[in-house]
Amino acid sequence: MPDPGVALSTIASGVLLGGMLALAALGLSIVLGVMRLVNLAHGDFLLVGAYAGLFFFEVTGVDPLIGLPVIGLLIAALAIPLYRFLLQPLAERGAEAQMMTMFAVAIILENAFVLAFSADTRSIAVSYAALPLTLGVVTIPLVYVIGFAISVVAILIVHWLVSRTAFGRDLRAAAVDPEAAATIGVDVKRVRMLTFALGAACAGVGGTLIGTAFQFTPASGGAYLLNSLAIVVLGGLGNVIGTLFGGLALGALQSLGGLALGDGYRDLVGMALFLIVLAFRPEGFARGQA
Amino acid sequence: MRKIIQVKCSLAAALIAASLSAGAASAADEIVIGASLPLSGPLAGFGSFQQWGYKRAVDEVNKAGGITVDGQKRPVKLIIRDDKTDPNQTAANTETLISRDHVVAMLGSCTPVLVNAGALVADRAKKPLVTGCDPLEAFKSVRKWNYVWDIFFDEPDLANAELKAVEESGAKTNKKLAIWHDNGPDGQVVGGKLWPEVAKSFGYEVVQNAEFPVDNQQFTSIIGEAKSKGADVVLVDAITPQAVAIRKQMAAAGYTPKVLNIEKGAEPVQFAEALGKLSDGVLVGGYWDPSFPYPDAADLAKAFESETKLSSSQHIADSYAAVQVLLDAIAAAGSTDPEKINAALAKTDKTYVVGPVKFDENHTAKLPIVALQWQGGKTVIVWPKSAKAGEFLFPLP
Repeated sequence: MPDPGVALSTIASGVLLGGMLALAALGLSIVLGVMRLVNLAHGDFLLVGAYAGLFFFEVTGVDPLIGLPVIGLLIAALAIPLYRFLLQPLAERGAEAQMMTMFAVAIILENAFVLAFSADTRSIAVSYAALPLTLGVVTIPLVYVIGFAISVVAILIVHWLVSRTAFGRDLRAAAVDPEAAATIGVDVKRVRMLTFALGAACAGVGGTLIGTAFQFTPASGGAYLLNSLAIVVLGGLGNVIGTLFGGLALGALQSLGGLALGDGYRDLVGMALFLIVLAFRPEGFARGQA
Repeated sequence: MRKIIQVKCSLAAALIAASLSAGAASAADEIVIGASLPLSGPLAGFGSFQQWGYKRAVDEVNKAGGITVDGQKRPVKLIIRDDKTDPNQTAANTETLISRDHVVAMLGSCTPVLVNAGALVADRAKKPLVTGCDPLEAFKSVRKWNYVWDIFFDEPDLANAELKAVEESGAKTNKKLAIWHDNGPDGQVVGGKLWPEVAKSFGYEVVQNAEFPVDNQQFTSIIGEAKSKGADVVLVDAITPQAVAIRKQMAAAGYTPKVLNIEKGAEPVQFAEALGKLSDGVLVGGYWDPSFPYPDAADLAKAFESETKLSSSQHIADSYAAVQVLLDAIAAAGSTDPEKINAALAKTDKTYVVGPVKFDENHTAKLPIVALQWQGGKTVIVWPKSAKAGEFLFPLP
């Protein structure tokens, strides 16, 4: 039986971490919801954000969290030509062609990271990344609290964008029935391009948060892609708020798995949950789309 | 699915690269040797140093005119393939080096998981392979080797070194000790078997022994348990990404033991670069330092630092020495016949940059261990007294 302080600290840390990972997963979710594309380069987009945060901090000396809007915009801007010149020409050939293209992009990005930044383990060494926050018997990493708060705010902004703006209306229409949306004047190609950019921006901002809280290497993308997929399945495809709750649930359950079986079994618990939900409730726990 | 496709693509790429290089490799006047190294993936921090050591030693021999084989001076060609820190890829690369590149002998990768994967292929194909970077117990536990030779430290020496350093420094702890180790072959030997025995022999109480997968990212509950049990001494065996994660998560959990030793992962300079001041005080076992009184030790480190503008690592030495041992054996055999090279390797008895190398009946040559401690971004020898270069920083800042 673990010490109550350890158990509470572990679960609280897991929930906060899950919330932080939900932002990155949101990018995958909206692209999947609107474009029906499992973006296999999503984990590597996240790493672009982590490296961008690292170099932003090293070059400017400014906290990378302050630079998050710039990093998000930068990665969105990089994603637009990627969509325009690689994915859009393949739009009529089905999701498989686009998926394999993004798989190739993932391999290229991973090798580009090695060539450009070496294969070294990196971490964004801001001072608060190693500070604890103690509340009674519970001790949690301060950086998880900061990352969680930023993630929730960013998810709420995306939720507002999707549910309350003209772009969001077009996005939802394109997600439900692209052909019908096109007949009523929605520029589906443009919506998809902007959705892809928004997804990349979410991954990039999430990547900076993860790079601040953890360490990363050019090969780290795959693990974060798997985590994001699990969160998307838990939260419901394309469901913005559902993704947040999917992240919280995954974080909490992985923590319980870690407490009961050891930290080494966290991913096992997460992936088992992913498969169970996929088998019995593939629409996720939160119904409805973006 | 991505993993499967990635493996297939890697294999396809390796085959294409191999077929392209096969023609060049078959040039009659070259002595072709090869190595599979982790140039990407989690162990790339080791692979980059090894690559430099391998290339440096081969370049020096070629600058001196090559090796006399069958009465003729011949240059040495070194082929290096990236195994992406994947033992399956190491085995595939080793097959490729033998069947497509027609190497006469090979050099090892790094860590038991990778080295042993390639070594098994080499041993079955009866091609000599000389390696460092594979702790001797993990190496010996695989099989009775015939064509593979290992120059590295022995885990029992490593397991003893850090606690000896603590005890001999007079540092006071509550004698409560936590062990965290990965489930790789050396992690299981050092953390699962040797450390508990050594801790007991020094009068420590092992309050926790936690094992985790090599690629684990989260250590919250492991750290929390050690903290709640009040362990003053923490011994960790993990690769670099996990070592960085553990140190960062310990600080974020408000847990600062008095002694922290991280084997394997705290060795490359990227550990200190990723952590900054958090690396200060972390102990790690070492088997080489430029200050060692062996031929070219200081010059080798200077050459590395001047060429790469990076701090040197002990892996430049074991890789450099492995090439020298292999090429000396080829020269002594005067032939590229694998059997003759293997017989010459068995007779190795010379002092190299890592110290005296003489293989025993298990095909191992043991390097002595020192205790290193990160201080201000550099490692300092703090034990034994005979090699000490700085004071033991205690407690952990």
